Amino acid sequence: MYSMVEILVGIIQGLVIILLSPLITGIMRKTKARTQKRMGASVLQPYYDILKLIKKDEVISDQSSWIFRICPWVNFVALATAAFFIPLFLMYSPFGLAGDLLLVIGLFALARFFTMLASLDVASSFGGLGSSREMMYSALLEPALFLTIFIVALTYGGTNLSTLVTAVSGATLLPHPQLIFAAIAMFVLVLGETGRLPFDNPSTHLELTMVHEAMILEYSGKSLALIEWSQAIKLLILLVLVVNIFVPWGISSSITIPALGIGFVSLFAKISILAIFIAYFESSIAKWRLFRIPDLVAVAIASSMIGIILYYIK
Amino acid sequence: MIENLSLFQLVVFLFASGALLGLFSRNSRFTRILTFVPTMIGSFFTVIFSVSVILEKPFQLMVPNLLPFINFEIKVDGIAAFFLLLISIVSFAVSLYSIGYSKEYEAKKRTSVFGFLFNIFILSMILVVASNNSFFFLIFWELMSLTSFFLVIYDHDKEENVKSGLTYLVMTHFGTAFIFASFLLGYIQTGSFSFDAFRNSSSSFPILTKNLIFLFAFIGFGTKAGIVPLHIWLPQAHPSAPSNVSALMSAVMIKIGIYGIVRTVFDLSGFGLSPEYSWWGLLMIAIGSVSAIIGVLYAVIEHDIKRALAFSSIENIGIILVGFGLSVVFASFNLTTLSALALIASMYHTMNHSVFKGLLFMGAGSVVYATHTRNMEHLGGLIKKMPWTALLFLIGTISIVGLPPFNGFISEWLTMQALLSSYQIPSIILQISIAFASLPFALTIGVAAATFVKLFGISFLSRPRSETIAKIKEVPRSMIAGMSILAAACVLLGVLPFLGISVITSAFHISSQPINPFDTIILQNNFGKSFANLSMPVVIIMLLSIAIAIFGFIKVIGGKTKKTTFSTWDCGFGNLNERMEYTGTSLSQPIRVVFKTLFRSHTQIQREFFGDHKYILRTLKVESFTKNIFEEKLYLPIMSSSIFIFDKIRKIQTGKINAYLLYIMITIVLLLLFVRLSHNV
Repeated sequence: MYSMVEILVGIIQGLVIILLSPLITGIMRKTKARTQKRMGASVLQPYYDILKLIKKDEVISDQSSWIFRICPWVNFVALATAAFFIPLFLMYSPFGLAGDLLLVIGLFALARFFTMLASLDVASSFGGLGSSREMMYSALLEPALFLTIFIVALTYGGTNLSTLVTAVSGATLLPHPQLIFAAIAMFVLVLGETGRLPFDNPSTHLELTMVHEAMILEYSGKSLALIEWSQAIKLLILLVLVVNIFVPWGISSSITIPALGIGFVSLFAKISILAIFIAYFESSIAKWRLFRIPDLVAVAIASSMIGIILYYIK
Repeated sequence: MIENLSLFQLVVFLFASGALLGLFSRNSRFTRILTFVPTMIGSFFTVIFSVSVILEKPFQLMVPNLLPFINFEIKVDGIAAFFLLLISIVSFAVSLYSIGYSKEYEAKKRTSVFGFLFNIFILSMILVVASNNSFFFLIFWELMSLTSFFLVIYDHDKEENVKSGLTYLVMTHFGTAFIFASFLLGYIQTGSFSFDAFRNSSSSFPILTKNLIFLFAFIGFGTKAGIVPLHIWLPQAHPSAPSNVSALMSAVMIKIGIYGIVRTVFDLSGFGLSPEYSWWGLLMIAIGSVSAIIGVLYAVIEHDIKRALAFSSIENIGIILVGFGLSVVFASFNLTTLSALALIASMYHTMNHSVFKGLLFMGAGSVVYATHTRNMEHLGGLIKKMPWTALLFLIGTISIVGLPPFNGFISEWLTMQALLSSYQIPSIILQISIAFASLPFALTIGVAAATFVKLFGISFLSRPRSETIAKIKEVPRSMIAGMSILAAACVLLGVLPFLGISVITSAFHISSQPINPFDTIILQNNFGKSFANLSMPVVIIMLLSIAIAIFGFIKVIGGKTKKTTFSTWDCGFGNLNERMEYTGTSLSQPIRVVFKTLFRSHTQIQREFFGDHKYILRTLKVESFTKNIFEEKLYLPIMSSSIFIFDKIRKIQTGKINAYLLYIMITIVLLLLFVRLSHNV
């Protein structure tokens, strides 16, 4: 069992993810603006947005039901709960006793399920359009995700995130070739799960390209704030997973102030680099046609299958 | 505590009296009460009976020589009691639901006949599971098939229902033939019809016989369970039956097929055997994953609510078989703990599927009861007219999609963990193939979410798509009560997984220790570290506390804000109407395009122009079709070739007496020759 201090650090880790997430989104937006030769808003802009939105009045569609109203709350609660299972700068989370990577994926799916329902609830064609595309993406990403988890879980002996990250951090530089393939698949998955280019363009409101934005089109005020925030949390959780599973060095193994400090600084540096890389990558490509996306997902699936074969035949 | 014997007799008596009361009450006002209340009491006592068997000792009953040379034997051990428990819980809820639901048929049809068949159907399922003698097993099996056939064609004014009833009748007898063959092989080995005899001497059966018995039983029981490609009857029969019967068929009757497979494997001591029996498990994993993916892909493009649910039953049977197959594979390599894990996973999913599929079919029944249509393109907006049905249906939906914190998540989590544990099998080929089998499994889970978003979203949410919706109202209270029982079970089995797990472990004698329902599921890896943990009560507490925290945060920081209701944003054009909404078909269009090789979908566009103008359309008609490749490529050739053969055979039926006499003589001569020759050898 864990001591009180460890539980406290665990809670802090979860809170840090929740509170830091808008900043990462801000960094990505800033990077995109700079690569497009714009000044861009401050990296703190997402915080201002959220604070502004929760003070604003809401307009709710007359066609909608309680599904539409509870969806933002379900989204936030599911994704914020998922944040507590993630080892951040300490290599374990005391909440690992209660849930694993598959639970985190399940909570993601819960949030997405309600978003898709809410988008159908308002009876606009936009919602249906977004929901229909999201249905396809999520259905196709699911096997790629599971196979990637398969590789990682087999390599490090568990879907328990604490076991996993502890095992990774003890390993030397890229100890297993199958992980390269898992990383390729994981990169595609992060783009797909968080709705980045070429899957979806998070900064557009054009019906040809919208997926996630089309689903949340009817939201305003507090509800919109919750949804934006939970999307930021989801993005950060996925980035942390990539960093802590594939490049965990620097993560703290004990609860001492210097170790935690190094852990936090190195994590923040790695996350920022990854976020800037993704934003730069997004700026350099265009949105793909909807029916070309399955090819990209197929690459992820094939890559993770090769990874599995490599693991077994070593 | 009442004796198990008297309890069992009471149960049989109650169902029989429900049947007879229904038959004799002759459509009076009380028919509904008289038929379904005894069913409810009977189901209730069956629950008590099966729980007491699971907790205490097996129940046995024998009437020697009831028929010449054949003993009537009843034996309810843990496995049978587990399935009895599922049957009884679901039939309790469904009969409560039926009190209200059969009002629909009261005006038009003889509800008394319905009540009779309904009771006999449930009783026959109970007796099939309880039988310990292959002869009586087949009698009750046939009784179950026939009563369900009559229930499927209960609405026989629609020609379509009669047709699907016939498909069902043919397919179920195809299955029965294989079960028969499998029992005969057992009889040849032991000279007895008793399952006890099979069990006791199964270890001395030759390997080939064992393999054949398993294969025949798998085909036979698999037909009942609805495995691909023998699933063809399921999406026809389940929608045709009245919804309370579809709930029973989908939630429990197809589980009797699973029971048959489980029973055969256990009786042939398929567990703890040498690796040469691992192909049993592999066959089940292969068929299971194919069934899962085919079932769910047909479900997602379906716009008939009940057909979509029927296809999703095929999918869930597939998931159950993947779990059970894994368990057999693990057992054949002596990985006892993992085998127990996979067995728990598949049985948990069996239990879950009974609960949520019963709930969903009842929910679909409520929709049909209120709106008289099964086509979701004509529904929409039901959540405002039928709030309770919508809420309960949503619970079933979240459960079946496998989202935390409801029950489907637990069994899918366990099955995924069993798949991940396949790395411990000492054979690279098996390791890799099971890892690849998890690809269709995961795809199934992804598409299932899409299926149920569509099912719930199109039928219950947004704007009504037809005018009849405006007039409907919520269904009677008894129907809602029936659904609530199963919805409560969905929540309970999700929040406290050890309730279900401890039932399974004591029923299958995995461990007899009582487990605290608030325990954590802990799986360990080879190094003794935690492979995975799951504690749903803690997750629930976390969800709730975060919900309270964020609610407080938003209210305190954001202060009071106003909510205005206004029409949905229409890009400034105005007059959004129901024809502009997304339909179910368009919602699933991307998936249909991605998997077009399976669906063979094609679209026909008919354009009519104004005179010579090539660009001004007068009318435009778009039709889109999907083909069922199983019907087309597998069943149609078989049907047409058998019709061809029977046509040829018919030629010998000339209708002349002297020709028939000639046939008889030829037969006698051949028989005499056969007897003579076989004696010489």
